[in-house]
Amino acid sequence: MDCSLVRTLVHRYCAGEENCVDSRTIYVGHREPPPGAEAYIPQRHPDNRIVSSKYTFWNFIPKNLFEQFRRIANFYFLIIFLVQLIIDTPTSPVTSGLPLFFVITVTAIKQGYEDWLRHKADNAMNQCPVHFIQHGKLVRKQSRKLRVGDIVMVKEDETFPCDLIFLSSSRGDGTCHVTTASLDGESSHKTHYAVQDTKGFHTEEDIDGLHATIECEQPQPDLYKFVGRINVYSDRNDPVVRPLGSENLLLRGATLKNTEKIFGVAIYTGMETKMALNYQSKSQKRSAVEKSMNVFLIVYLCILVSKALINTVLKYVWQSEPFRDEPWYNHKTESERQRNLFLRAFTDFLAFMVLFNYIIPVSMYVTVEMQKFLGSYFITWDEDMFDEDTGEGPLVNTSDLNEELGQVEYVFTDKTGTLTENNMEFKECCIEGHVYVPHAVCNGQVLPDASGIDMIDSSPGAGAREREELFFRALCLCHTIQVKDDDDVDGPRKSPDSGKSCVYISSSPDEVALVEGIQRLGFTYLRLKENYMEILNRENGVERFELLEILSFDSVRRRMSVIVRSATGEIYLFCKGADSSIFPRVIEGKVDQIRSRVERNAVEGLRTLCVAYKRLIPEEYEGVCTLLQAAKVALQDREKKLAEAYEQIEKDLILLGATAVEDRLSADMQDHGLIIDGAALSLIMKPREDGSCGNYRELFLEICRNCSAVLCCRMAPLQKAQIVKLIKLSKEHPITLAIGDGANDVSMILEAHVGIGVIGKEGRQAARNSDYAIPKFKHLKKMLLVHGHLYYIRISELVQYFFYKNVCFIFPQFLYQFFCGFSQQTLYDTAYLTLYNISFTSLPILLYSLMEQHVSIDTLRRDPSLYRDIAKNALLRWRVFIYWTFLGVFDALVFFFGAYFMFENTTVTSNGQIFGNWTFGTLVFTVMVFTVTLKLALDTHYWTWINHFVIWGSLLFYVVFSLLWGGIIWPFLSYQRMYFVFIQMLSSGPAWLVIILLITVSLLPDVLKKVLCRQLWPSATEKVQTENQCLSVEQSTVFMLSQTSSSLSF
Amino acid sequence: MTKMKKTSQICQSKLPDNTALKQQQLPAYRLQLSATGVLSGFFATGAFCLGVGIILILSAKSIKEIEIKYTKICANCAELREDAINFDKECTCSIPFYLSETMQGNVYLYYKLYGFYQNLYRYILSRSNSQLVGTDLKDVGNCAPFSKSHNGTPIAPCGAIANSIFNDTIILSYNLNSSIHMEVPMLRSGITWWTDKYVKFRNPSAINLSSAFTGTAKPPYWSKPVYELDLEDTENNGFLNDDFIVWMRTAAFPTFKKLYRRLNRVQYFIEGLPAGNYSFNITYNFPVTRFKGEKSVVLSTLTWSGGSSLFLGLAYTVTGAVTWLAAFSMMAIHLMLKEKRTLFIERFETERDRA
Repeated sequence: MDCSLVRTLVHRYCAGEENCVDSRTIYVGHREPPPGAEAYIPQRHPDNRIVSSKYTFWNFIPKNLFEQFRRIANFYFLIIFLVQLIIDTPTSPVTSGLPLFFVITVTAIKQGYEDWLRHKADNAMNQCPVHFIQHGKLVRKQSRKLRVGDIVMVKEDETFPCDLIFLSSSRGDGTCHVTTASLDGESSHKTHYAVQDTKGFHTEEDIDGLHATIECEQPQPDLYKFVGRINVYSDRNDPVVRPLGSENLLLRGATLKNTEKIFGVAIYTGMETKMALNYQSKSQKRSAVEKSMNVFLIVYLCILVSKALINTVLKYVWQSEPFRDEPWYNHKTESERQRNLFLRAFTDFLAFMVLFNYIIPVSMYVTVEMQKFLGSYFITWDEDMFDEDTGEGPLVNTSDLNEELGQVEYVFTDKTGTLTENNMEFKECCIEGHVYVPHAVCNGQVLPDASGIDMIDSSPGAGAREREELFFRALCLCHTIQVKDDDDVDGPRKSPDSGKSCVYISSSPDEVALVEGIQRLGFTYLRLKENYMEILNRENGVERFELLEILSFDSVRRRMSVIVRSATGEIYLFCKGADSSIFPRVIEGKVDQIRSRVERNAVEGLRTLCVAYKRLIPEEYEGVCTLLQAAKVALQDREKKLAEAYEQIEKDLILLGATAVEDRLSADMQDHGLIIDGAALSLIMKPREDGSCGNYRELFLEICRNCSAVLCCRMAPLQKAQIVKLIKLSKEHPITLAIGDGANDVSMILEAHVGIGVIGKEGRQAARNSDYAIPKFKHLKKMLLVHGHLYYIRISELVQYFFYKNVCFIFPQFLYQFFCGFSQQTLYDTAYLTLYNISFTSLPILLYSLMEQHVSIDTLRRDPSLYRDIAKNALLRWRVFIYWTFLGVFDALVFFFGAYFMFENTTVTSNGQIFGNWTFGTLVFTVMVFTVTLKLALDTHYWTWINHFVIWGSLLFYVVFSLLWGGIIWPFLSYQRMYFVFIQMLSSGPAWLVIILLITVSLLPDVLKKVLCRQLWPSATEKVQTENQCLSVEQSTVFMLSQTSSSLSF
Repeated sequence: MTKMKKTSQICQSKLPDNTALKQQQLPAYRLQLSATGVLSGFFATGAFCLGVGIILILSAKSIKEIEIKYTKICANCAELREDAINFDKECTCSIPFYLSETMQGNVYLYYKLYGFYQNLYRYILSRSNSQLVGTDLKDVGNCAPFSKSHNGTPIAPCGAIANSIFNDTIILSYNLNSSIHMEVPMLRSGITWWTDKYVKFRNPSAINLSSAFTGTAKPPYWSKPVYELDLEDTENNGFLNDDFIVWMRTAAFPTFKKLYRRLNRVQYFIEGLPAGNYSFNITYNFPVTRFKGEKSVVLSTLTWSGGSSLFLGLAYTVTGAVTWLAAFSMMAIHLMLKEKRTLFIERFETERDRA
């Protein structure tokens, strides 16, 4: 019984959930619908509070600490620190606690500060006053108290407090202008339309009298999609149902422009607004270097554990003889004797772990972070990548991927606007097979002369004159351009030759180019006023067309249409779109002539569009209207139904002509060819049209790999990402880079290993979602060839060197255990243990990793083949890693046994006095600090004064520190074991001889290896380094890139 | 409007500074490991190492050193010390030996221990510095298990190091002939670091030493309290005792030697130790067989480069030789490659000419 009850409850609950998912119903102004209306399930909605902060005052410390210690490295260091605190070890907990504390604190402060800023921003947003209507009066409330169903008033230049359905505007035509710069980066003004039946409510009282309900879908993050309907109840009549689309929706975060005030009803609030839903954080990208660093860490962790294990086992083997376990001179305490054997062995194991833990240093993480953070400034500072036209420099959105820029194997680039500069120029049009070229731009002179039409073909017959004008009118009417009379619109595209200060704004630069081109041919689009489009014809007469419907552009249909009514009452449908989507729907017109012209233009790399029209008789128009209305009101599958309706309407067209627009290539296009050179890089081009990619993945991959350049035409945004993913996940796992400038490139930018945004004309969305943003495509060259290469060289040396120097540091410590009865005695003093990584050897490598240029920047830029030298993570391969590790082991053996034989066999002093264990450790340590630093000095190719200062300064600092540390009785120390040890050591001649000998011996093999490799198997970089000749490198293949034709198209 | 102006100002200020540092164009010296540079470097290093090595070997040759292990020679004493019960039984042992050549110059007398781990972690820790500088005799914190005697009084000097002090006495006597045995004069001074003797080790201040140490106990293995180490010389008594200070500087390895005395060059010994018959008279107190160790006495002369070992000299010589070998082979490779390259260029040019 109970079970079934529960089951039904669950079912009911689930069903309720499903209902919730479907749609929501909102009572405008919280007025219940009349009793006759359908009953709705009341729903709960969150208030309008935005929470972007991660922490509160109370949970900051535990939550932040928890998140920080979720990082494996931090957790490891915490464990080591705790072990040091608990068990009796020779190393002080300070040695690992201090750096860890430093790292944790700095990170916590940084995150806390960022969260505090977020809190502040949230509070400012949640408390900012909002006007809304209550009982016919205007009331001010805090934004966070807003609820779904409230009617809100927004004034000009205010941002919308939540997602609103646009009810009415102060403008007579029920429109308002909005910029969504903070949402998707598009700074152009967009027009939104009030609901037809409510646009008359202009005052607070009016709007309070509105009695309506809204049904709409549950919140979803897509900014451009919205489906809903409104039921307006007036008196006793049946409710009027109207469709609601994204043109009726005002999004939170957008700003009202050029409109005095609007009224709207809140439908999504707080965290349910589309802006909040779009807050999703980007997934973290990890560079190849970071991945190999983690692998190396695991290797070292294994080494560490095995070292500790070996020592623990050997300790107990060695101690199995009682005279060694407890000799008469070293008795155990009672508590030590009574401890359990296994417990003792375990503590010994932990103690060895702690003793050797420096092999994985905290400081490496700090240094790598600092190198990345500071190093990324060189990109933003770079003068060569600064664009003076736009006043923009490169942006670094993440510094985690600096070195990945040096590893790129495949470049995916968006063509339009990225390779080209989105400077569209109307080239020609072809009407009925006759070609017209606007004369106006020849010789770079702009002539606002309407008569400048150059007829290339034979002059048209008299009957064609009518067609010609119809074509121009079609182009003037069939678009979604807005006209701004204002000079101060942001993101403007000024028409270059209009005498009036009128500016065309559109999301598509093609349209602007077309309308401007037509302007030069005599027809000027003036404005859209109260649903009438006004154009100025050749005789300077104003023609008015009533705009009836817009069948807006989408990337599946690849065309758009308008339906207009002329002054004489005739109804026209004008359609404009890609050739392949127009020709099949044409029944009349000189198709063949136009087609050949279009193809010719396409081959020349021009962007072509075809124009067609159809005359509608009023009955047909009625049919069209009902068809569209039905589709628009649909709550489910509205998109699909609309598409079907469009399909039915846009048919039986009469072809008018075609246009060609040139998208100019960037000035330095030839230089880019260099990057795209050879087998190492492939370039996949993508114009912005759509198309199908085909499922022949293997074939595609095969072809891609064998081509130096691949052109993919007509790709949808998602397809771009799919191609990137396809290449990314192929067998070799190549490193990919995607570069683009528009919102349509975002998916590809997010997908690729490195995403680069071009701060272009299509808004900043790509730049914002990218890892790096550059002002121009040409800057990519320096970014990859110079910055990427240098960062890679720098960080790989940094990683390898860090492991090397810590092997040098810890391996003698390990060896010493064999000579001190595995008793965990340290070789070095605590101060040396602590400061080795923090101050004696930290700065030279940090500065090296910031300054090093193994070859000059000019050479790197001139010779792209050098880029291949470091491909496939060449400097962090196992071979190299093992070489460095063995070098470290070799050096450690030299230090330790060199000093050991010295101590064992002879008196180290010339006055007969004897040195103790601390002198031995100090001798090894001194040799080590010098060797490790000089090794870096030998690796440094680029010696600026900073390198000199840091390298010699570090050595000097070590000497001065040691003199001071041993020269004074430090009152805070309970032991004075280092007192005068260093000075005594330096006062003995043989010690000097040993130091010099051991440094030489440890450095020689590395130098020898380097010189031999350079002589026998020189890499391209080394050849350049040695020859250093200024031979001009031959220019590699240059690819001509066009929109529709090239070697390969998919 | 105002917002726009602001952003345009920001844009202008975004223009990067044209400093050499920010543009990564700092004037710099480019270190190139060129063939000639490296070769000359290698030859120079090799020459230096060979030179130093030969000098070191030559100077080490002039050094005389003899070492006598006396654990087995004094087997009866060693056996006696096996058992700690016999600690108060005195045992002496005489070791005659013949010096065939004169030991010229300063002669140093060392004792050397085998298998004694002065570098055990607990052992090194087991001392009290505040006690040894005479500030706080009661501070025995780290000294366990030798911190307090059975009745609870703190031990001075406390800890395992002090407790296990090397307590053999070694007297060298010169047998001029079979009847005249004369004790070779030895100096105790100068066997410790100056800073140890005068800074790190201080006696507690009091009228006399024995009253200063009241309230403390002697280390369990010691036969007499610390203030009776040298009753004749106050500068050598208490914590200031030279042998004590030498012992307290812990050795790095289980086999180590420590300076015991140096020759006082007077009378017969003004030139050093003349050739002839000598004997060591050793009071055998320090047990080594219990940890399977050994002990020996070492007599050695020194030069500027330290003790007798050839190690340093040989190491230098070998390094120098290897460096030269590497340099020669590098030169051969370099010349071969150069030849190949010129051949290649010539062929290339003739082919071009032909074309």
